[in-house]
Amino acid sequence: MRLGLSRLIRIFFQSLFLQTSWSFMSMQSMGFLSGVLVGVDGAKHAGIISARKGLFNTHPYMVSYIVGATVRAYDEGTASAEEVNRFLSVAQTSFASAGDLLFWRTLRPALLLLSVILGVRYGLIGPLFFLVVYNGFHLYHRIQGIRDGYKMGWDVIYVLKTKRFTLTRQVFEVVGTLLCGLLLSLGSPELRYILVIPLTALFVIMLIRRYSAVMIIVSALLVLLIIGMV
Amino acid sequence: MNVLLLSLLGAVIILDKYALGEFGISQPIVTGAIIGAIFGDIWFGIFLGAMVQLVFLGGLPIGRDIPPDGQAAGIITATSYFLLRGSNIMAHSLGVAAVLGLIGGVVGGFFDVIARRFNEKLHTHFLVHEEWLYVCHAAGLATAFLRGFVLFLPVFAFSSVFVIPGIFPQITKETLTIIGMSLGLANSFYLFVKMKTVVYLLIGGVCGLALAVL
Repeated sequence: MRLGLSRLIRIFFQSLFLQTSWSFMSMQSMGFLSGVLVGVDGAKHAGIISARKGLFNTHPYMVSYIVGATVRAYDEGTASAEEVNRFLSVAQTSFASAGDLLFWRTLRPALLLLSVILGVRYGLIGPLFFLVVYNGFHLYHRIQGIRDGYKMGWDVIYVLKTKRFTLTRQVFEVVGTLLCGLLLSLGSPELRYILVIPLTALFVIMLIRRYSAVMIIVSALLVLLIIGMV
Repeated sequence: MNVLLLSLLGAVIILDKYALGEFGISQPIVTGAIIGAIFGDIWFGIFLGAMVQLVFLGGLPIGRDIPPDGQAAGIITATSYFLLRGSNIMAHSLGVAAVLGLIGGVVGGFFDVIARRFNEKLHTHFLVHEEWLYVCHAAGLATAFLRGFVLFLPVFAFSSVFVIPGIFPQITKETLTIIGMSLGLANSFYLFVKMKTVVYLLIGGVCGLALAVL
Protein backbone atom coordinates (compact mmCIF):
# COMPACT_ATOMS: atom_id res chain seq x y z
CA MET A 1 0.00 0.00 0.00
CA ARG A 2 0.98 3.63 -0.53
CA LEU A 3 0.68 6.40 2.00
CA GLY A 4 -0.79 8.87 -0.51
CA LEU A 5 -1.13 12.65 -0.26
CA SER A 6 -4.61 12.72 1.25
CA ARG A 7 -3.64 10.33 4.06
CA LEU A 8 -0.44 12.29 4.66
CA ILE A 9 -2.46 15.51 5.02
CA ARG A 10 -5.03 13.87 7.33
CA ILE A 11 -2.35 12.39 9.61
CA PHE A 12 -0.41 15.67 9.60
CA PHE A 13 -3.51 17.69 10.49
CA GLN A 14 -4.46 15.29 13.28
CA SER A 15 -0.89 15.35 14.65
CA LEU A 16 -1.34 19.07 15.37
CA PHE A 17 -3.89 18.05 18.00
CA LEU A 18 -1.73 15.36 19.66
CA GLN A 19 -1.66 17.07 23.07
CA THR A 20 -5.18 18.56 23.03
CA SER A 21 -6.45 16.18 25.72
CA TRP A 22 -3.11 15.71 27.54
CA SER A 23 -3.66 14.39 31.07
CA PHE A 24 -1.40 13.05 33.81
CA MET A 25 -3.08 9.63 33.71
CA SER A 26 -2.92 8.82 29.99
CA MET A 27 -0.81 11.73 28.68
CA GLN A 28 -1.20 11.82 24.85
CA SER A 29 -3.14 8.56 24.63
CA MET A 30 -6.27 9.91 22.95
CA GLY A 31 -4.26 12.21 20.67
CA PHE A 32 -2.08 9.35 19.45
CA LEU A 33 -5.04 7.05 18.93
CA SER A 34 -6.88 9.72 16.92
CA GLY A 35 -3.74 10.27 14.83
CA VAL A 36 -3.41 6.59 13.97
CA LEU A 37 -7.11 6.09 13.27
CA VAL A 38 -7.29 8.82 10.60
CA GLY A 39 -4.63 6.93 8.66
CA VAL A 40 -6.09 3.44 8.95
CA ASP A 41 -8.98 1.71 7.20
CA GLY A 42 -12.26 2.17 9.11
CA ALA A 43 -12.86 -1.57 9.47
CA LYS A 44 -9.82 -1.86 11.75
CA HIS A 45 -10.76 1.00 14.09
CA ALA A 46 -12.59 -1.01 16.77
CA GLY A 47 -9.70 -3.46 17.15
CA ILE A 48 -7.10 -0.69 17.35
CA ILE A 49 -9.08 1.25 19.95
CA SER A 50 -9.43 -1.74 22.25
CA ALA A 51 -5.75 -2.65 21.89
CA ARG A 52 -4.32 0.89 22.32
CA LYS A 53 -6.07 2.63 25.17
CA GLY A 54 -3.07 2.85 27.48
CA LEU A 55 -0.59 5.58 28.26
CA PHE A 56 1.31 7.19 25.42
CA ASN A 57 3.78 10.04 25.59
CA THR A 58 6.44 11.34 23.26
CA HIS A 59 7.71 14.63 21.92
CA PRO A 60 4.82 16.32 20.05
CA TYR A 61 6.84 16.94 16.87
CA MET A 62 8.31 13.43 16.85
CA VAL A 63 4.98 11.63 16.98
CA SER A 64 4.83 11.72 13.17
CA TYR A 65 7.61 9.14 12.89
CA ILE A 66 5.77 6.79 15.25
CA VAL A 67 2.34 7.29 13.69
CA GLY A 68 3.78 6.70 10.20
CA ALA A 69 5.34 3.38 11.24
CA THR A 70 2.23 2.30 13.16
CA VAL A 71 -0.10 3.09 10.24
CA ARG A 72 2.12 1.00 7.96
CA ALA A 73 1.98 -1.92 10.43
CA TYR A 74 -1.83 -1.78 10.47
CA ASP A 75 -1.93 -1.45 6.66
CA GLU A 76 0.16 -4.60 6.25
CA GLY A 77 -1.80 -6.36 8.98
CA THR A 78 1.03 -8.78 9.73
CA ALA A 79 2.20 -7.41 13.09
CA SER A 80 0.58 -8.75 16.25
CA ALA A 81 -0.79 -6.41 18.93
CA GLU A 82 2.17 -7.38 21.12
CA GLU A 83 4.67 -6.41 18.42
CA VAL A 84 2.98 -3.04 17.93
CA ASN A 85 3.00 -2.38 21.68
CA ARG A 86 6.66 -3.38 21.94
CA PHE A 87 7.58 -0.98 19.11
CA LEU A 88 5.53 1.81 20.66
CA SER A 89 7.07 1.45 24.11
CA VAL A 90 10.60 1.70 22.68
CA ALA A 91 9.82 4.35 20.05
CA GLN A 92 7.91 6.74 22.29
CA THR A 93 10.74 7.05 24.83
CA SER A 94 13.50 7.21 22.21
CA PHE A 95 11.77 9.88 20.14
CA ALA A 96 10.71 11.76 23.29
CA SER A 97 14.27 11.95 24.50
CA ALA A 98 15.63 12.95 21.06
CA GLY A 99 12.87 15.53 20.51
CA ASP A 100 13.29 17.07 23.96
CA LEU A 101 17.03 17.40 23.43
CA LEU A 102 16.72 18.75 19.89
CA PHE A 103 13.75 21.09 20.21
CA TRP A 104 13.11 21.99 23.87
CA ARG A 105 16.72 22.10 25.08
CA THR A 106 18.57 23.32 21.99
CA LEU A 107 16.79 24.59 18.89
CA ARG A 108 13.92 26.52 20.48
CA PRO A 109 15.94 28.36 23.17
CA ALA A 110 18.71 29.16 20.65
CA LEU A 111 16.24 30.59 18.13
CA LEU A 112 14.39 32.46 20.88
CA LEU A 113 17.65 34.03 22.06
CA LEU A 114 18.37 35.18 18.53
CA SER A 115 14.83 36.49 18.06
CA VAL A 116 15.07 38.41 21.37
CA ILE A 117 18.34 40.07 20.30
CA LEU A 118 16.95 40.85 16.83
CA GLY A 119 13.59 41.97 18.26
CA VAL A 120 15.05 44.42 20.79
CA ARG A 121 17.42 45.92 18.20
CA TYR A 122 15.39 45.74 14.98
CA GLY A 123 11.75 45.24 16.03
CA LEU A 124 9.41 42.96 14.10
CA ILE A 125 12.26 41.07 12.40
CA GLY A 126 12.90 39.19 15.68
CA PRO A 127 9.53 37.45 16.16
CA LEU A 128 9.09 36.93 12.39
CA PHE A 129 12.51 35.33 12.12
CA PHE A 130 11.67 32.98 15.00
CA LEU A 131 8.32 31.92 13.52
CA VAL A 132 9.74 31.24 10.04
CA VAL A 133 12.92 29.38 11.01
CA TYR A 134 11.47 27.46 13.97
CA ASN A 135 8.46 26.28 12.00
CA GLY A 136 10.71 25.34 9.10
CA PHE A 137 12.37 22.76 11.35
CA HIS A 138 9.16 21.90 13.19
CA LEU A 139 7.03 21.27 10.09
CA TYR A 140 9.85 19.41 8.35
CA HIS A 141 9.91 16.84 11.17
CA ARG A 142 6.11 16.63 11.33
CA ILE A 143 5.74 15.96 7.58
CA GLN A 144 8.93 14.05 6.79
CA GLY A 145 8.37 12.02 9.97
CA ILE A 146 5.11 10.59 8.64
CA ARG A 147 6.73 9.73 5.28
CA ASP A 148 9.83 8.18 6.85
CA GLY A 149 7.78 6.29 9.42
CA TYR A 150 5.59 4.81 6.71
CA LYS A 151 8.55 4.03 4.43
CA MET A 152 10.84 2.52 7.08
CA GLY A 153 8.31 0.86 9.38
CA TRP A 154 9.81 -0.40 12.66
CA ASP A 155 13.28 0.69 11.41
CA VAL A 156 12.28 4.34 11.65
CA ILE A 157 13.97 4.40 15.04
CA TYR A 158 17.37 4.43 13.26
CA VAL A 159 16.51 7.86 11.86
CA LEU A 160 17.56 9.20 15.28
CA LYS A 161 21.18 8.56 14.32
CA THR A 162 20.98 10.65 11.14
CA LYS A 163 22.37 14.15 10.65
CA ARG A 164 18.94 15.75 10.85
CA PHE A 165 19.12 15.04 14.58
CA THR A 166 22.80 14.89 15.48
CA LEU A 167 24.21 17.67 13.29
CA THR A 168 21.31 20.07 13.91
CA ARG A 169 21.74 19.68 17.66
CA GLN A 170 25.51 20.17 17.52
CA VAL A 171 25.16 23.29 15.36
CA PHE A 172 22.49 24.87 17.55
CA GLU A 173 24.43 24.10 20.74
CA VAL A 174 27.26 26.21 19.35
CA VAL A 175 24.83 28.88 18.11
CA GLY A 176 23.14 28.96 21.54
CA THR A 177 26.47 29.39 23.35
CA LEU A 178 27.48 32.19 20.98
CA LEU A 179 24.12 33.91 21.51
CA CYS A 180 24.45 33.57 25.28
CA GLY A 181 27.47 35.88 25.04
CA LEU A 182 25.75 38.11 22.48
CA LEU A 183 22.95 38.78 24.99
CA LEU A 184 25.30 41.35 26.51
CA SER A 185 24.50 43.53 23.49
CA LEU A 186 21.11 44.29 25.07
CA GLY A 187 22.85 46.36 27.75
CA SER A 188 24.48 49.75 27.51
CA PRO A 189 27.70 51.22 28.99
CA GLU A 190 25.99 52.64 32.07
CA LEU A 191 27.10 51.96 35.62
CA ARG A 192 23.88 50.26 36.72
CA TYR A 193 24.31 47.51 34.12
CA ILE A 194 27.14 46.16 36.33
CA LEU A 195 24.27 44.72 38.40
CA VAL A 196 23.85 42.11 35.65
CA ILE A 197 27.03 40.33 36.85
CA PRO A 198 26.00 39.46 40.44
CA LEU A 199 22.39 38.81 39.42
CA THR A 200 23.45 36.39 36.67
CA ALA A 201 25.73 34.61 39.14
CA LEU A 202 22.86 34.36 41.64
CA PHE A 203 20.46 32.88 39.08
CA VAL A 204 23.08 30.48 37.68
CA ILE A 205 23.71 29.17 41.21
CA MET A 206 19.95 28.75 41.74
CA LEU A 207 19.67 26.83 38.44
CA ILE A 208 22.68 24.61 39.16
CA ARG A 209 21.37 23.85 42.66
CA ARG A 210 18.05 22.97 41.03
CA TYR A 211 15.89 25.49 42.86
CA SER A 212 12.32 25.26 41.63
CA ALA A 213 11.30 27.53 38.74
CA VAL A 214 8.72 29.18 41.02
CA MET A 215 11.44 30.03 43.54
CA ILE A 216 13.60 31.60 40.81
CA ILE A 217 10.68 33.68 39.51
CA VAL A 218 9.81 34.85 43.03
CA SER A 219 13.47 35.86 43.52
CA ALA A 220 13.42 37.77 40.23
CA LEU A 221 10.25 39.52 41.39
CA LEU A 222 11.83 40.52 44.70
CA VAL A 223 14.98 41.79 42.98
CA LEU A 224 12.82 43.81 40.57
CA LEU A 225 10.89 45.43 43.41
CA ILE A 226 14.02 46.11 45.49
CA ILE A 227 15.78 47.79 42.54
CA GLY A 228 12.56 49.73 41.88
CA MET A 229 12.45 51.00 45.48
CA VAL A 230 16.14 51.90 45.55
CA MET B 1 -9.73 47.65 23.56
CA ASN B 2 -12.43 45.62 25.27
CA VAL B 3 -11.17 43.51 28.20
CA LEU B 4 -13.42 40.62 27.20
CA LEU B 5 -12.07 40.57 23.64
CA LEU B 6 -8.50 40.71 24.90
CA SER B 7 -9.15 37.77 27.24
CA LEU B 8 -10.70 35.80 24.38
CA LEU B 9 -7.72 36.59 22.16
CA GLY B 10 -5.29 35.58 24.93
CA ALA B 11 -7.18 32.31 25.48
CA VAL B 12 -7.03 31.54 21.74
CA ILE B 13 -3.30 32.31 21.56
CA ILE B 14 -2.56 30.17 24.63
CA LEU B 15 -4.03 27.12 22.81
CA ASP B 16 -0.78 27.12 20.87
CA LYS B 17 1.10 26.27 24.08
CA TYR B 18 0.22 22.59 23.81
CA ALA B 19 -3.41 22.06 22.78
CA LEU B 20 -3.12 23.01 19.11
CA GLY B 21 -0.14 23.00 16.79
CA GLU B 22 2.64 24.36 18.99
CA PHE B 23 3.86 26.70 16.28
CA GLY B 24 5.47 29.06 18.79
CA ILE B 25 2.84 31.80 18.34
CA SER B 26 2.29 31.81 22.11
CA GLN B 27 5.97 32.52 22.86
CA PRO B 28 6.23 35.90 24.68
CA ILE B 29 8.39 37.53 21.97
CA VAL B 30 5.62 36.81 19.42
CA THR B 31 2.65 37.65 21.65
CA GLY B 32 4.41 40.86 22.69
CA ALA B 33 4.51 41.88 19.02
CA ILE B 34 0.84 40.93 18.47
CA ILE B 35 -0.42 42.77 21.57
CA GLY B 36 1.86 45.73 20.85
CA ALA B 37 0.41 45.94 17.33
CA ILE B 38 -3.15 45.90 18.74
CA PHE B 39 -2.37 48.81 21.06
CA GLY B 40 -0.36 50.70 18.42
CA ASP B 41 3.11 50.34 19.99
CA ILE B 42 4.69 47.28 18.43
CA TRP B 43 8.24 48.19 19.54
CA PHE B 44 7.39 48.32 23.22
CA GLY B 45 5.29 45.17 22.90
CA ILE B 46 8.31 43.36 21.45
CA PHE B 47 10.53 44.74 24.20
CA LEU B 48 8.17 43.49 26.95
CA GLY B 49 7.81 40.12 25.21
CA ALA B 50 11.59 39.84 24.87
CA MET B 51 12.18 40.45 28.58
CA VAL B 52 9.55 37.90 29.64
CA GLN B 53 11.00 35.47 27.10
CA LEU B 54 14.42 35.70 28.74
CA VAL B 55 12.95 35.11 32.21
CA PHE B 56 11.15 31.94 31.09
CA LEU B 57 13.75 30.68 28.59
CA GLY B 58 14.69 27.69 30.72
CA GLY B 59 11.19 26.32 31.41
CA LEU B 60 11.21 22.94 29.69
CA PRO B 61 7.94 20.95 29.46
CA ILE B 62 9.54 17.52 29.72
CA GLY B 63 7.44 14.47 30.62
CA ARG B 64 5.07 15.12 33.53
CA ASP B 65 6.89 18.29 34.60
CA ILE B 66 4.73 21.39 34.15
CA PRO B 67 6.92 24.51 34.50
CA PRO B 68 5.49 28.00 35.25
CA ASP B 69 3.54 29.31 32.30
CA GLY B 70 5.88 31.64 30.42
CA GLN B 71 3.39 32.03 27.59
CA ALA B 72 0.67 33.28 29.95
CA ALA B 73 3.20 35.56 31.64
CA GLY B 74 4.04 37.12 28.26
CA ILE B 75 0.40 37.77 27.39
CA ILE B 76 -0.38 39.17 30.87
CA THR B 77 2.68 41.45 31.04
CA ALA B 78 2.16 43.03 27.62
CA THR B 79 -1.63 43.39 27.84
CA SER B 80 -1.62 44.65 31.44
CA TYR B 81 1.04 47.23 30.64
CA PHE B 82 -0.98 48.74 27.80
CA LEU B 83 -4.21 48.66 29.86
CA LEU B 84 -2.55 50.24 32.92
CA ARG B 85 -0.89 52.88 30.76
CA GLY B 86 -4.33 54.41 30.14
CA SER B 87 -4.54 55.85 33.66
CA ASN B 88 -1.01 55.58 35.11
CA ILE B 89 2.52 56.80 34.45
CA MET B 90 4.88 54.55 32.49
CA ALA B 91 7.20 53.57 35.37
CA HIS B 92 4.26 52.52 37.57
CA SER B 93 2.53 50.66 34.72
CA LEU B 94 5.73 48.80 33.91
CA GLY B 95 6.20 47.78 37.55
CA VAL B 96 2.67 46.49 38.06
CA ALA B 97 2.62 44.77 34.64
CA ALA B 98 5.88 42.96 35.43
CA VAL B 99 4.60 41.88 38.86
CA LEU B 100 1.28 40.69 37.38
CA GLY B 101 3.11 38.87 34.57
CA LEU B 102 5.49 37.00 36.87
CA ILE B 103 2.74 36.06 39.33
CA GLY B 104 0.50 35.19 36.35
CA GLY B 105 3.18 32.82 35.07
CA VAL B 106 3.24 30.95 38.37
CA VAL B 107 -0.57 30.88 38.71
CA GLY B 108 -0.84 29.87 35.04
CA GLY B 109 1.31 26.82 35.83
CA PHE B 110 -1.15 25.79 38.56
CA PHE B 111 -4.11 26.35 36.20
CA ASP B 112 -2.33 24.16 33.68
CA VAL B 113 -2.14 21.34 36.22
CA ILE B 114 -5.86 21.74 37.04
CA ALA B 115 -6.80 21.67 33.33
CA ARG B 116 -4.78 18.53 32.73
CA ARG B 117 -6.35 16.89 35.77
CA PHE B 118 -9.74 17.69 34.30
CA ASN B 119 -8.62 16.01 31.08
CA GLU B 120 -8.23 12.80 33.10
CA LYS B 121 -12.01 12.77 33.43
CA LEU B 122 -12.29 13.00 29.64
CA HIS B 123 -10.00 10.00 29.28
CA THR B 124 -11.97 8.05 31.89
CA HIS B 125 -15.15 8.81 29.96
CA PHE B 126 -13.52 7.58 26.76
CA LEU B 127 -12.46 4.32 28.44
CA VAL B 128 -16.11 3.58 29.18
CA HIS B 129 -17.52 4.92 25.89
CA GLU B 130 -15.00 4.13 23.15
CA GLU B 131 -17.19 5.66 20.45
CA TRP B 132 -16.68 9.06 22.15
CA LEU B 133 -12.95 9.17 21.37
CA TYR B 134 -13.01 12.21 19.08
CA VAL B 135 -15.49 14.13 21.28
CA CYS B 136 -13.49 13.51 24.48
CA HIS B 137 -10.26 14.39 22.69
CA ALA B 138 -11.65 17.59 21.16
CA ALA B 139 -13.13 18.62 24.53
CA GLY B 140 -9.51 19.15 25.62
CA LEU B 141 -9.54 22.27 23.41
CA ALA B 142 -12.35 23.71 25.54
CA THR B 143 -10.42 22.90 28.73
CA ALA B 144 -7.29 24.63 27.43
CA PHE B 145 -9.30 27.62 26.19
CA LEU B 146 -11.15 28.03 29.50
CA ARG B 147 -7.91 27.74 31.44
CA GLY B 148 -6.57 30.76 29.58
CA PHE B 149 -9.80 32.75 29.67
CA VAL B 150 -10.30 32.27 33.44
CA LEU B 151 -6.70 33.34 34.02
CA PHE B 152 -6.74 36.41 31.77
CA LEU B 153 -10.17 37.96 32.39
CA PRO B 154 -9.73 39.00 36.06
CA VAL B 155 -6.16 40.23 35.47
CA PHE B 156 -7.14 42.33 32.46
CA ALA B 157 -10.27 43.67 34.21
CA PHE B 158 -8.11 44.67 37.18
CA SER B 159 -5.48 46.30 34.94
CA SER B 160 -8.08 48.33 33.07
CA VAL B 161 -9.41 50.05 36.20
CA PHE B 162 -6.49 50.04 38.64
CA VAL B 163 -4.98 53.37 39.59
CA ILE B 164 -1.53 52.68 41.03
CA PRO B 165 -0.74 54.38 44.37
CA GLY B 166 2.30 56.69 44.33
CA ILE B 167 4.23 54.57 46.84
CA PHE B 168 4.44 51.61 44.43
CA PRO B 169 8.04 51.12 43.18
CA GLN B 170 8.72 52.69 39.82
CA ILE B 171 10.30 50.30 37.33
CA THR B 172 12.17 51.74 34.40
CA LYS B 173 12.90 50.09 31.06
CA GLU B 174 16.54 49.75 32.16
CA THR B 175 15.59 47.92 35.37
CA LEU B 176 13.49 45.46 33.41
CA THR B 177 16.36 44.99 30.93
CA ILE B 178 18.79 44.25 33.79
CA ILE B 179 16.49 41.56 35.25
CA GLY B 180 15.71 40.13 31.80
CA MET B 181 19.38 40.04 30.78
CA SER B 182 20.46 38.45 34.07
CA LEU B 183 17.90 35.66 33.89
CA GLY B 184 18.43 35.26 30.15
CA LEU B 185 22.19 34.92 30.63
CA ALA B 186 21.70 32.49 33.53
CA ASN B 187 19.16 30.38 31.61
CA SER B 188 21.20 30.23 28.41
CA PHE B 189 24.41 29.61 30.35
CA TYR B 190 22.71 26.68 32.09
CA LEU B 191 21.28 25.32 28.83
CA PHE B 192 24.19 25.71 26.45
CA VAL B 193 27.58 26.34 27.98
CA LYS B 194 29.93 23.37 28.31
CA MET B 195 33.70 23.18 28.63
CA LYS B 196 34.09 22.41 24.93
CA THR B 197 31.94 25.40 23.87
CA VAL B 198 33.32 28.05 26.26
CA VAL B 199 35.31 29.61 23.43
CA TYR B 200 32.06 30.47 21.59
CA LEU B 201 30.72 32.08 24.76
CA LEU B 202 33.79 34.29 24.91
CA ILE B 203 33.51 35.23 21.21
CA GLY B 204 29.81 36.01 21.69
CA GLY B 205 30.53 37.98 24.87
CA VAL B 206 33.19 40.15 23.20
CA CYS B 207 30.91 40.82 20.20
CA GLY B 208 27.98 41.51 22.55
CA LEU B 209 29.97 44.03 24.60
CA ALA B 210 31.22 45.71 21.42
CA LEU B 211 27.64 46.04 20.15
CA ALA B 212 26.48 47.40 23.52
CA VAL B 213 29.17 50.09 23.55
CA LEU B 214 28.73 51.12 19.89
